Amino acid sequence: MAEQLEILLLDDEPIVGKRLKPALTKIGCNVEVFEDPRQALDRIHRKTFDIVVTDIRMDEIDGIEILEHVLRKSPRTKVIMITGYAMMEVAREAMEKGAYDFISKPFTPDDLRKVIAKAARALGSPIDSETADPAEPGGPAETQ
Amino acid sequence: MPVVTLSSDSHPLGREIAVRAATALGYDCVDREILSAVADRHDVPETDLHKALEESPSPFGISSKNHARYLAYIEEATLAVLLKDHVVCSGLAAHLYVRGISHVLKIRILADPQKLAGEISSGRTPSFEKVSALLKRRERFRRRWSLAAYRVDETDPSVYDMVISLTRIDPDEAVQTIVETTGYRKFQPMTYSLKCLKDKALASRVRVALIDRFPDVRVQADGSSVVVQTKALEREKQKKTEVIKKLAGEFPEVAAVEVQILPDIFRKAAESFR
Repeated sequence: MAEQLEILLLDDEPIVGKRLKPALTKIGCNVEVFEDPRQALDRIHRKTFDIVVTDIRMDEIDGIEILEHVLRKSPRTKVIMITGYAMMEVAREAMEKGAYDFISKPFTPDDLRKVIAKAARALGSPIDSETADPAEPGGPAETQ
Repeated sequence: MPVVTLSSDSHPLGREIAVRAATALGYDCVDREILSAVADRHDVPETDLHKALEESPSPFGISSKNHARYLAYIEEATLAVLLKDHVVCSGLAAHLYVRGISHVLKIRILADPQKLAGEISSGRTPSFEKVSALLKRRERFRRRWSLAAYRVDETDPSVYDMVISLTRIDPDEAVQTIVETTGYRKFQPMTYSLKCLKDKALASRVRVALIDRFPDVRVQADGSSVVVQTKALEREKQKKTEVIKKLAGEFPEVAAVEVQILPDIFRKAAESFR
């Protein structure tokens, strides 16, 4: 069996982590969830993740800063930005600064799984994004 | 890779640069040749589709209703092509209806004014004053056209990601610049921008399905939900809502339809005078 993908998920809304963690765990990822960007940054400095999923708009530290920190520490890490306030300029800024992908809320856990699967392929560690049972927690209900 | 839309104050020049950029990128080039298929599909004269892209509605030309209808047909067909990716699109006013999509690189090519004036005045070389007046008139006309059709001023440089003036840059350099810019990270497709384009394409298809019966209709899509806006008198509200829900609901991608009926104040006022 391939090694587990190490994923850090950061969103200041607790519901996001609560919904997405089981969905990603089901496809064989090891997921650490954070609501506080400072704690997430602290963890990022101590551990190298394969994929970081971060909200853009948060108090104190925004997702773009997280992106910059992650890529400074580990350029191979794929950073996926999520936001409920998607706009073209923000999306372009994130991509320019090295984000791997950008998703607007609301999205379903399945949407995120597909992006994670794409990132995993780019990392050379393909995973099967179809494993999850849609009836289970983390199924198709939207993450706001 | 990003999609490229190319607009120009000279359609032949815009087309020439678009073809060359597409060849250099290994993309398809889409121009007004798609209008023949659009005309066949909707059973309208192809010449009227060309006119809709060049002329504003007028009492002696295309009516406002037909103008909106023809542009809706063109928009639907163009968005379907843009969804296929690896495309350079010119001459179809795409820069006016794909705004806000980050992986669409919007380029404006400005012709050399002297050459453009010669083109407009059928090869004659007018004086400097005449050139200036001619170009100003043409710019005013295009501004009016784009504002009437899409509420966007196409002569405003902020509409574009890049404006290239061929007075000082030669066409080879322009093509090279376009090709290089498509490599910038900020213009690469992402899940969000691809979804935005898909939403626009779906909205345009639903609008085409409704526009014959509801000429003022506006449609927005978000995933499988569409919001349809039209005007009606109070007594027509229910019937119109039902028809719109039925027609929009026929698209397999559409799961939910919200209809917003706005009061038709002009018809209401007209009726009150009867």
